[in-house]
Amino acid sequence: MKNAWTFVALLAAALAAGCATQKGFETPGLAFGCPVGDAKVSSMEDLVKLKVVMEGTRTTVVPTEMRCTKSSDLLKIDANLNNDSRSVKRISYKVRWIDREGMRAWEEEAWKPLLLYDNSNLTINAVAPTNKAADFRIILRSQE
Amino acid sequence: MNNVTFIRRFALLPLLAALALGAGCAHDRTRYGDAKGVETLTNEFGSTDLQMIAESMTRSMLQAPVIVSGNLPIVTVQDVKNRTSEYIDTRAITDSIRAELQKGGKVRFAVDAAAMNQQVEELKRQQSEYYAKEHAAEKGQMVGAQYRMDGNITSIVKQVKNAKDVYYKFNLQLWNVRNGLLEWSDEKEIRKTTTRG
Repeated sequence: MKNAWTFVALLAAALAAGCATQKGFETPGLAFGCPVGDAKVSSMEDLVKLKVVMEGTRTTVVPTEMRCTKSSDLLKIDANLNNDSRSVKRISYKVRWIDREGMRAWEEEAWKPLLLYDNSNLTINAVAPTNKAADFRIILRSQE
Repeated sequence: MNNVTFIRRFALLPLLAALALGAGCAHDRTRYGDAKGVETLTNEFGSTDLQMIAESMTRSMLQAPVIVSGNLPIVTVQDVKNRTSEYIDTRAITDSIRAELQKGGKVRFAVDAAAMNQQVEELKRQQSEYYAKEHAAEKGQMVGAQYRMDGNITSIVKQVKNAKDVYYKFNLQLWNVRNGLLEWSDEKEIRKTTTRG
């Protein structure tokens, strides 16, 4: 009987531990490896909403997934862009690097043109120019 | 002068005046633009290409093991060969790469071959009788580079009646001066197509 209770307690503890850490949110302040600070991010959609900014002419191309990591103390981003329309889309993007104090960690990047085929995905990757960059925003605009 | 000739001559006057006024009104308009914006005026090598290449190469080089090691490697910049059919100031590309790397503080740059004459001239000047010996830069104190950076840019141009396609490939390498080993290399490709009509 005592063994049965121990088994139930262990099972409950294991289940609780499993629920406590959702995949991608293991480290506090990070979501899928990307810095989120105090922002309430509980899903990939929340993360994309937090990190992507549209400027100028809006585009229908949207990031669907984003992951970050540190590569030799530099922040590295992979963002998947999706064009679900039936036509080729031309957009441009840049990354705005932000330091721990919320100031610009680097000068404004050049806009980089991209072509996305119809019904396709494209992964853009960016590496921070300096280890002072602790956060980022991906800026998108249409080039149509 | 008879009446008919007079009317013919002076009937042209309003037309000429209108043309002169029109030409006067069509003045040039100058405005500042976004230096970092996407430039697609022609499909020749442009500012967007230069900026994309410099950024891509710098970010890639920052992840090279010799840079990551944190020993502040000393690099000298050599020529990037222009193997395209158009004029490209490749020095502008390497200058941008050097400026961004230097700003990142992970690399130091030694004087390159192009600036060597100026460096030697300045050393000679400081060694002249006009300078106090204790403050003058001494000869024989310059530091040689551990790595040298060189590369090339090539292009493939295809043109038909109403379309022109240009493909650029920029390649950059970092060589170990002492042992001749290639420590890092990367390339950036750009395609631009112009269609008429």
